[in-house]
Amino acid sequence: MGKTITLFLSTSPYSYENTLTVARTAESALEKGHSVNLIASGDGVYCFLKGQKAKGILNAQEKFSELIAKGLKVYL
Amino acid sequence: MGRIAMILRRSPYGDINAAEAVRHAMGGAAGELDVDLILVDGGVLLAKKGQDDAGTGFTNLEGALKDCIDMGVVVYADKASVRDLHLEAADIADGIKIASAVQIVELMQEARTTMIF
Amino acid sequence: MVVIVKSAPDTTDGKRGVKLARDMAADIVLLQNGVYFAQRERLEGFCGTVYALDDDIRLRGLREDEIERDVRRLDYGGFVDLAAGEEKVIGIF
Repeated sequence: MGKTITLFLSTSPYSYENTLTVARTAESALEKGHSVNLIASGDGVYCFLKGQKAKGILNAQEKFSELIAKGLKVYL
Repeated sequence: MGRIAMILRRSPYGDINAAEAVRHAMGGAAGELDVDLILVDGGVLLAKKGQDDAGTGFTNLEGALKDCIDMGVVVYADKASVRDLHLEAADIADGIKIASAVQIVELMQEARTTMIF
Repeated sequence: MVVIVKSAPDTTDGKRGVKLARDMAADIVLLQNGVYFAQRERLEGFCGTVYALDDDIRLRGLREDEIERDVRRLDYGGFVDLAAGEEKVIGIF
């Protein structure tokens, strides 16, 4: 039976490796059937802004939108 | 044009500083500035051979650093930092010069502008 | 119990995470710049199991012969399995 995994993201989308670590961990947990919560605090909330133009690097808005469609629950 | 010294203090991948240092170094070289990219502290880890980005979602910064060198950026790695971070001469990518603290001070004195990442 | 460390050995966060794991006799998972702790002799005397994310090791160009032999490599799936199977997960430092 799946567990509930809660991740905490407090850094801005493009200055640290944390965005990718969190996104890939959440993706893997969702694929394994776990329930995944993501709590964004401080600068972490910028990962969920609309209109991000990042190219050549993981686009946080696009990636998290994709994960939300797969069941990720995000709390700001 | 003037000489610019860019100093990278942070190790690659954990944050954006190494990628930004490389990007700005390339920009400087493209703008016909003389660019010295000086790797100190964790920054020397950017010089490590064998970085493998396959499947990770990152840009390979070893390749980007090589592009910098090909564009004329002169890259130095601080000798003491290389030792402190468990690197050996064989670990350092081709074209990077190992520099003593005295040499690094001289480079900074010669530079018209200094940028720290 | 497992402690997750993403910070490098030369940072206070990294040192704090490893000290906590030692003090609590916990296992440790190394991510991001934390994987440099997997280099030989960096975790001498550490009693728990050391896990490290393979992607983050490869990305930094760390060679097989630089890594302590008993470090267990994980992919993201393995990391999730480990975290989900633990009673307590502390971090990320």
